[in-house]
Amino acid sequence: MVDLAEATLVRRARAGQLEAMRQLYERHASRVYTVVRRLAGDDDLAADLAQDAWTNAFQRIRDFRGESAFGTWVHRVAVNTALTRLRQAARRRDLERGFDGATTLGNPDRWPAAGAAERVTVQRALDLLPDGYRSVLWLHDVEGYTHEEIGARLGIAVGTSKSQLSKARARLRALVTQSRAGVRS
Amino acid sequence: MVHLTEETLSELLDGESVAGAGEHLSSCSVCQDELEALRQLRAELRELPDLGAPEDLWMRIEAGLPGSRRGWRAGLRGPRLVALQAVAAAAVFVIGLGLGRAMWSDGPGSEAGVGAVAASRPSAMTLTEAMAEVQRRGADYDEALQNLERLARQEGAPVPSLAQQRLVGLQMLVEASRTALSVEPADPVLNSYLFAAVEERDAMLRELNEVQGPGEQVLWR
Repeated sequence: MVDLAEATLVRRARAGQLEAMRQLYERHASRVYTVVRRLAGDDDLAADLAQDAWTNAFQRIRDFRGESAFGTWVHRVAVNTALTRLRQAARRRDLERGFDGATTLGNPDRWPAAGAAERVTVQRALDLLPDGYRSVLWLHDVEGYTHEEIGARLGIAVGTSKSQLSKARARLRALVTQSRAGVRS
Repeated sequence: MVHLTEETLSELLDGESVAGAGEHLSSCSVCQDELEALRQLRAELRELPDLGAPEDLWMRIEAGLPGSRRGWRAGLRGPRLVALQAVAAAAVFVIGLGLGRAMWSDGPGSEAGVGAVAASRPSAMTLTEAMAEVQRRGADYDEALQNLERLARQEGAPVPSLAQQRLVGLQMLVEASRTALSVEPADPVLNSYLFAAVEERDAMLRELNEVQGPGEQVLWR
């Protein structure tokens, strides 16, 4: 069903009306921020990514044809913006191979350890994963992307995506188990 | 017993068939528990609650959008921003002085509150020190003004409304911007500053005039 109020807001936002853009933002701010925060693993970076995502969305709003809901479209823009930025950041740090798990980030012995007394929630454990692992895990298990789609977006092979996913799941499980055992003891 | 690898467990979690894995799983409680734990963890991931965006995020986004009035402010950096802050802070301080004088122009001892602030000469030698001095004196003036207002209320003297105080403040910002523009008439930031101050001042004027009667309307150039 077409949301007429939202369609009006989109039309006005296309015409450059800031108030319409603000209302669209208010409607979908949480959804967009949540997905970039999960991918970023960090509050400050997430805020930057959300800002970039919304700026991109409003700059490209003429490309939005209304074939999907605006929320779906802006969510996709946010995911693409976040992945692009994360890949650029990885390149800048010369860690692009982190997406393959071939650097030190892929070595479990070099990962940051959670303190024994710290209750590592699933969210915190997700934050502790290397960028590449976290991206693959979130895109596959929550966003529902296939390994082919993930490979295309992250610039990695399908097999690498599968391998990253299994390692990410195992690492997440270890972090949470270790933490919960620490809390119980 | 050799247990299933993390890769195999992951494939099973995604519903893929792996040769020999089913047989092992049916007879190994360790791997059954591990698979179930992974399934549970995935469910927990999917149930993580949505997060609230930072409160200032829209302001940051808006500043980068065409047509935004915040954009020019966000673009201010370095010495130019410091200079404009100094102008604004000084303007607010001067506004206070003018307001105090206006309030007490009809009464005896009319500049007592102002004099307490304006008595000493500025001593700052650098821009940073000058900014600190203006802020310090502004704080002193705020206290003095509050005292004046309190006394005025006690004695039944007129006290300007918040809207009127804002109006005077905005007019002073307009004048300060015009003064700055007389030095750098082509500066786009200063022009934006003047434009924004005039726009805000006129909006405040309209707001005041809506409250007041036709014969009492405030006019401003």
